[in-house]
Amino acid sequence: MLNIKKLFTKQKFIANIIDYSIALYIGATLAFLLNYWLEMTINPTIVFAEATLLYAIFIALPNTPGKSLYKERENHVKFLSQFYHYVYALLISLTIIVGWIMVEIEPLEFLTGMQGTRNIVRGIFHPDQDIFWKMVSELVKTIYLALMATVLAVPIAFFLSFLAASNLMNRTLIGKAVYAIIRTISTVIRSIEAIVWAIIFAVWVGIGPFAGMLALMVHSIAALVKLYSEQIENIDQGPIEAITSTGASTLQIWKYAVIPQIINPFLAFTIYRWDINVRMATIVGFVGGGGIGLQLFQKQQMTDWNGVGTIVWLIALAVWIMDMVSAEIRKKLLSN
Amino acid sequence: MSIIEIKKLNKFYDESTHALKDIDLEIKEGEFLILLGLSGSGKSTLLRCLNRLIEPTDGEINFLGNDVVRANSTSLRSIRSDIAMIFQQFNLVKNITVLTNVLTGNLSKHSLFSRWTKEEKDLALANLKRVGLQDFAYRKVRNLSGGQQQRVAIARALMQKPKLILADEPVASLDPATADSVMNYLGTLNKEDGITVVCSLHFLSLARKYGSRVVALKDGKVKFSGSPNDIDDKKFKEIYGEDAEEVEIR
Repeated sequence: MLNIKKLFTKQKFIANIIDYSIALYIGATLAFLLNYWLEMTINPTIVFAEATLLYAIFIALPNTPGKSLYKERENHVKFLSQFYHYVYALLISLTIIVGWIMVEIEPLEFLTGMQGTRNIVRGIFHPDQDIFWKMVSELVKTIYLALMATVLAVPIAFFLSFLAASNLMNRTLIGKAVYAIIRTISTVIRSIEAIVWAIIFAVWVGIGPFAGMLALMVHSIAALVKLYSEQIENIDQGPIEAITSTGASTLQIWKYAVIPQIINPFLAFTIYRWDINVRMATIVGFVGGGGIGLQLFQKQQMTDWNGVGTIVWLIALAVWIMDMVSAEIRKKLLSN
Repeated sequence: MSIIEIKKLNKFYDESTHALKDIDLEIKEGEFLILLGLSGSGKSTLLRCLNRLIEPTDGEINFLGNDVVRANSTSLRSIRSDIAMIFQQFNLVKNITVLTNVLTGNLSKHSLFSRWTKEEKDLALANLKRVGLQDFAYRKVRNLSGGQQQRVAIARALMQKPKLILADEPVASLDPATADSVMNYLGTLNKEDGITVVCSLHFLSLARKYGSRVVALKDGKVKFSGSPNDIDDKKFKEIYGEDAEEVEIR
């Protein structure tokens, strides 16, 4: 009984936070619109005061977005009990209006301003054939860069993923701590874009493919730790139980009951990661990661649109082939 | 002669979950013992305590003169190698071949890197032949039906040359006809090879057909022990509760 009561109050608390956030959001968007259309400057205190007033109205009403989460619909006056529908409608309309203004969407510009891109489009459809082989070699360099980043990330991610699998680690306090630390670090690293890592490593080891590889490797380790460890968490315990009952040793249990279950998904994730890395490698090249991305950046700076054309087509071709091949291999791996 | 003697066996999962309460049970060599009882009555826990897939809290288990509860890891592995186990969900490794799955029954006689011998492979094939699956040896397990998978599991159990087979609801995931054929294989192993079988079941009809003795558990205690034919309506209601009706499967 105690637990249900606790849950109820927790839900109620969350519902109130949701309701107040909605009130605050409505207040803030209205303030933005008043400022935009009437050039009124609205003090944040007023926004909070207005939000609190709206929230007070919410409390009085039988059904609001927050309350609808935990409360059964009540048979009050229809308008009042369905009130949260109107709140949702208001939220969506306000959001779209504010978004349109803030992003400076100008359809007319889109329809009439195409003139300026003529040179670029002409360049892309007349690729510079003289630099073809040089660019092919840069592309190959980029694919190797992505491959090395993946290959070097795999053993580290493989080792760490076992320490980041909750079903293996939640037995002891130290295990739980290691699990929490590795999961947190890998989430943080993953949330920092590879392009930021490339900027850091370009300063660290100098501009070039090595910096790009390090950036992709760091990001790949973090991503693979997540994918691998989730796979370990999802393995079927049944075969482990069965192999244990035959009198097998712990290492034999790993060899015959654990590895067969994870090997194909692991390979599939790895190939997928290589595929992603090839795509990211071109972007990473832009900020000093070397390879074809760096060439693209330089040609674009020189407004050599024919050169840009050559590179764009080569990248498109490589990404298309990688995408197809990796999808096919993954399908084979996961169906076995 | 008894193959297993259980004395005052207790299992607590936590302070409030007392799964086995002072179980005393003697199992004779050659018996086909059926465990009956509602889900949660302790059947699976009892079976898994016998080979320590679950650690008993206290009590004694004696298997052919070996102290199971206090065995160290080496002697526990040797005890386990004499006790084969069959599971409701078959518990085969699904993306390797049938033959390799059968061979894993012999892992206790191997080190980590040793290879399967010709003799072992022949024995595995012979065991597959006994369960009528010799043509499936090189197929992946995932392509087999439930009944076929359970027969592979029986072949894996045979590979251990076990003295005792523990079967945890081996037919609960199978249709009635397949269930009977799987029970038939277990019956044959019991009669022809003299392997003792301890099998938990939900169906009294199968218990009557194959069991030489029935032990019924209720709330972690032994409620009944005797011939399957002695379970009348009154006993049945004692085991399964007042509202229970016997369901017949053929």
